[in-house]
Amino acid sequence: MKGNVIKYERDNIDTDVIIPGQYLKVHDYAELALHAMEGLDPNFHSKVKEGDFILSGRNFGCGSSREHAPIALSHSGIKAVLALSFARIFYRNAVDGAFLLPIEIEEDAYSDISEGDEIDIDISTNEIKNLTKNKTYKMKPFSEIIGKIIEAGGLFKYKPD
Amino acid sequence: MGKTLFEKIWDAHIVVEKENGPSLIYIDRHLVHEVTSPQAFDGLRMNNRSVRRPDLTIATMDHNVPTNNRSLPILDQTSAVQIQTLEKNCKDFGIQLFDINSPNQGIVHVIGPQLGITLPGSTIVCGDSHTSTHGAFGALAFGIGTSEVEHVLASQTLWLEKPKPFEIIVEGKRKNPHAVTAKDIILSIIKNIGTSGGNGTVIEYRGEGIRDLSMEQRMTICNMSIEAGARAGLIAPDEKTFEYLRGRKYTPKNYESLVDYWRNSLKTDSDAKFEKNYTLHIDNIAPQVSWGTNPGMTCDVTESIPFPEDFSNGDQNQKKGAEQALEYMALKPGTPITEIKIDRVFIGSCTNARLEDLIEASKVVKGRKLSPHVRAMVVPGSQMVKKQAEELGLDKIFTDANFEWREAGCSMCLGMNPDILAPGERCASTSNRNFEGRQGTGGRTHLVSPVMAAAAAIEGHFVDVREMDLN
Repeated sequence: MKGNVIKYERDNIDTDVIIPGQYLKVHDYAELALHAMEGLDPNFHSKVKEGDFILSGRNFGCGSSREHAPIALSHSGIKAVLALSFARIFYRNAVDGAFLLPIEIEEDAYSDISEGDEIDIDISTNEIKNLTKNKTYKMKPFSEIIGKIIEAGGLFKYKPD
Repeated sequence: MGKTLFEKIWDAHIVVEKENGPSLIYIDRHLVHEVTSPQAFDGLRMNNRSVRRPDLTIATMDHNVPTNNRSLPILDQTSAVQIQTLEKNCKDFGIQLFDINSPNQGIVHVIGPQLGITLPGSTIVCGDSHTSTHGAFGALAFGIGTSEVEHVLASQTLWLEKPKPFEIIVEGKRKNPHAVTAKDIILSIIKNIGTSGGNGTVIEYRGEGIRDLSMEQRMTICNMSIEAGARAGLIAPDEKTFEYLRGRKYTPKNYESLVDYWRNSLKTDSDAKFEKNYTLHIDNIAPQVSWGTNPGMTCDVTESIPFPEDFSNGDQNQKKGAEQALEYMALKPGTPITEIKIDRVFIGSCTNARLEDLIEASKVVKGRKLSPHVRAMVVPGSQMVKKQAEELGLDKIFTDANFEWREAGCSMCLGMNPDILAPGERCASTSNRNFEGRQGTGGRTHLVSPVMAAAAAIEGHFVDVREMDLN
């Protein structure tokens, strides 16, 4: 999975800035996407392209249980969020609805990858290749259940063995 | 080896367990509200599924509802549609709903315990992160997203990975428990362990400082477990817990035999092992005020706004976060907290809108007047709280002081109903999140206890409520 990186060099990006509360009444996903990241980066909508990734620090997606958060990012074109760590509800929401991949990375990838870098994520080998900088990083592997839900394409398609 | 309380509740709810893998966990109570449920019901309809246990599912409307005159129509069309959708969904699927006109309507985490729906030892979920509140009763309670809401509606179960148990001991006694509150204890904990300090864990709060708290104060503690990144927070039930739930509307008929069972079984064994431990000594803690844009950015009311390099302990992201927060909050390092002037006061939310919160705040307000440049609103957590408060004359105390006295709902906690801050307005708020834009685009939130919010409303700036004469 290849794409370019939009980097937010900060911790604790919360669900209120990913999709502010006033839009939780919106059920049209395309409209939600217009307001993704609006609380933090009003230019996000104009710069994001289909297939992009977000790169950020610790505790990404903290706060509310709103599934609108991964939905808004996903319908903006974001295929994966790479972060040093995730808040649990956002992490499960991203996977349960097959909205985007939450990828846990280490410090090396976080500090090394720059805004605009093209990277290639391979979840079968748990490797992230930085095509711009010609480097490779390890991602933390998904746990068994998360891997299987991702493979199935969401919680409702997952069938236990 | 012994088990922690969390592990005992978890084990008692396993439907299917896989070695080193996830468990299918049975859910005893499912609370539903208007914002995170519509797509879940749509999913059921699309797949021709029913609600497996409508009798264990309870709904109310709290996030969207206006808190002014209930006899007026809801002007915001999208809110009105969400509320009507919940009404239709509850009717179609046979779910008990406490609607906008019900005397039992209120914030879902306030009405659950008040109605006796929240029970010790049970598993409780809701499409809302502050479901952790119910942990105050020794329940395993946590927030879920809409896909999981649908999964619980359809199956009454969830696939979960087992969190790790985290022991937080609160030691000692507060010198002035009217001025230094449960809110100050939990904000102190989050300040110390950080907003991701509890990631991957279920916190059990223990120790003298917890046992001394009333049930309503314990709910304030557990409510903000999610702000420390924890999955849930819980407190072992004791006689206060059993007394609180006795005789409520939905308290089970065999309650006394349940109490006997809970008394003996719902506690952490002496030889149980926690994955993590943290101890807070509360003898000398001060009232807390958040200065930044997450609940970990908090300090004593007697302190000044920190310099980002001092706050960050050498961590670049922390330093940058503090700088960005101070810019958003329009605050300068070195400014004493007590010199920060406020425009608005919000006493409400699932953290601090219960009867005791309002009683304590009213003691500060009684016989005084709101600062002329401040607008203050008191929003009871439920219609029941509102009624009880009015029976005690609290509404009169607040309105005599020029505070607004409103109908129950989430109100200005989350900026999705008419109660919002204008850009640039600064608010002393008893809610749980000070994120950018949380209370309205450009709004600036300082998290405090109800007595600290009330004192700030009177003085027009933050004050150390310990110095006020509360008699």
